[in-house]
Amino acid sequence: MRKVYLCGQTMNGIYSALYDAWKSSRDEEAGIAFTDTVEHQLFCEYVEVVEDRRKGVAVDKLIRDHLGEKAYWDIYHALLSEDAKRADAVFHVLQDARAVKDSKRIMEHLTNPAVGKVFELKRRVANEAHLFLEFIRFRELEGGVMFSEISPRNRVLTCFGDHFGNRFPLENWMIYDKTHKEALLHRARAPWILISGEELDEELTKRVTEREKEFACLWRGFFQAIAIEERRNPSCQRTHLPLHFRKDMLEFDDMGGVEVF
Amino acid sequence: MNGMEEKRMAADKIGIGMPIFEKLKILSDAAKYDVSCTSSGVDRQGDGTGIGNCHAAGICHSFAADGRCVSLLKILFTNECIFDCKYCVNRSSNDVERTSFTPDEVCTLTIEFYRRNYIEGLFLSSGILKSPNYTMELIYATLYKLRHTYHFQGYIHVKAIPGTDAELIRRIGFLADRMSVNLELPTAESLRLLAPHKTRKNILAPMRLVQNAMAENKQEVALYRNAPHFVPAGQSTQMIIGATPENDYQILNVAESLYQKFGLKRVFYSAYVSVNKDAALPVKYQEGAGGGPPLLREHRLYQADWLLRFYRFEAHELLDEKNPNFNVLLDPKCDWAIRHLEQFPVEVNKAGYEMLLRVPGVGVKSALRIVKARRMGNVKFEDLKRMGVVLKRAVYFLTCNGRMMYPSVKIDEDYITRNLLNVGERLPDSVTGLSYRQLSLFDDQNFTPRTLQNIVAG
Ligand code: SF4
Repeated sequence: MRKVYLCGQTMNGIYSALYDAWKSSRDEEAGIAFTDTVEHQLFCEYVEVVEDRRKGVAVDKLIRDHLGEKAYWDIYHALLSEDAKRADAVFHVLQDARAVKDSKRIMEHLTNPAVGKVFELKRRVANEAHLFLEFIRFRELEGGVMFSEISPRNRVLTCFGDHFGNRFPLENWMIYDKTHKEALLHRARAPWILISGEELDEELTKRVTEREKEFACLWRGFFQAIAIEERRNPSCQRTHLPLHFRKDMLEFDDMGGVEVF
Repeated sequence: MNGMEEKRMAADKIGIGMPIFEKLKILSDAAKYDVSCTSSGVDRQGDGTGIGNCHAAGICHSFAADGRCVSLLKILFTNECIFDCKYCVNRSSNDVERTSFTPDEVCTLTIEFYRRNYIEGLFLSSGILKSPNYTMELIYATLYKLRHTYHFQGYIHVKAIPGTDAELIRRIGFLADRMSVNLELPTAESLRLLAPHKTRKNILAPMRLVQNAMAENKQEVALYRNAPHFVPAGQSTQMIIGATPENDYQILNVAESLYQKFGLKRVFYSAYVSVNKDAALPVKYQEGAGGGPPLLREHRLYQADWLLRFYRFEAHELLDEKNPNFNVLLDPKCDWAIRHLEQFPVEVNKAGYEMLLRVPGVGVKSALRIVKARRMGNVKFEDLKRMGVVLKRAVYFLTCNGRMMYPSVKIDEDYITRNLLNVGERLPDSVTGLSYRQLSLFDDQNFTPRTLQNIVAG
């Protein structure tokens, strides 16, 4: 009977499921589903996965060693998506990698449905992550922390850690994901960390410094001045900067229609 | 106190009196006509002691109401100017409000914008205060401060003013990532007419200097890994299109020789926007006379520029004395193909890479994919689609295993032209406003505007 491993939606959950599935079912037909979204079917045996960080470490190493660094990152990105089949697709990629001559090139087999799925998910996540590198805006809170809030579709926070960590090594900064209620936190001169499951005090995030108000205003003014009126083109602007990003970007919040300059 | 220091103090005084809001408004408004605003060409990690890093592909941070990417804090140091270039808002004969930043103001704006992730860095241009050297000293002081006092490691693009001493340009080049000298107008004659204080010689001299200094620096860096880098992202330039009577062929030839002889990274084209009334300027684009900036023309030039840089075309193949201007209806690649039907159809499984590149509907990436794929087996029309080839254009020019995709296709000029026009050109939100990111002409469906931008960014 086909075994389906059930886990939570977190990375840890998925990695633990991959571990169990790989350990007991790598040579059989098997799958992975999420406890909260699974639709039970006849003729399947459902197995609850016990989550364990050590399983995650083992799977991490397994993928790196056998599929190589590049495929590892493809898979990692794919798992950041919200797709209900993401863990299942990755498991099948791992299985199918054994059948190809050079398992490190598994991600080039785009005609394989599981590989195609993982590739597609990874592309979606990487695209969204890239857009946020551009459009994220920080504001300076009273305590001196540079704070940003975003509403991404995928769990992209960890894609920003190295980028901003290298860029702002001496700053305390934090990016809050409103969709998934997670935060990426960086303290000056320290490595970044991901925090989940903690409530954010919204009041605190609204208390900005006086300087913050000044520079936000300067930026809005600059943004208005830089456009060439004779070339005005809102549809082109919309193609590059879709509306849903704008709610977290200060140059598009209209300040109740107040002209800055 | 040395001379440098004195000048800095003097400069610090200029700005006194006007609030920074006002200054920023005036000096960004005056800089907006400069079209080169990419932050590309150099990869540099931060070293942990300051703020900033650089990404070779460049990063846009916003899009202005005209659809153009906002990547750098694009400002003039001052809009004071002793020159009187006819096409420029800041010319000495214009009665506009004048102001200058202080070096510290520029540094603060850059750093504070940067740490909020508004920008990738600074684009610093300037009018000419007192003399080219005097102005460039101020700019040097600004960049020096930004790099060494504020520890800024992000992107800096600086404009060099023609007539500046070589030594000063050299010093600035070690602080900037990209340096550019504006060619302004395509010919020496036009320059005489519209920019009486500038000469071709004056403009090309610093360009040559930067080129040579970059070459020397390459050797130094090869020898000593820690040698400082001189404009690591290379140099670019821009020309104003449509203010003077040059035809497209002349302009494209100028661009080609800039690439070949000066090793430029990019040539930018800027459709002339009328800001002044002047007898020497074309009436057509002047205010109130109807007709906006020549955006389609600018667009065609970017397309052709692309053909020069990535598709191995030469200027004289695209245009010539008899045909000196681009086809309004067809992009330069389709236009070329239709005028060279004797070279078509091309067999997908045999044609060389260079020839594949010339087929309308085949992009740089898809040509590469074809070459790779046909080593494994015969390539068929169905495969082409997956490789990103735009078949609705390519079908008129390709065979797979000796066969056209549709037997009814004729290699006939009128027939193909008619069909290509029916397919229509995907003009970038067209011509009511060209976006520099979406120069999405070259037909590779798997190219997103993003990847295109990386290529454009050079
Ligand atoms: S030198 Fe010419 S183009 Fe430059 S600011 Fe002065 S007037 Fe304008």
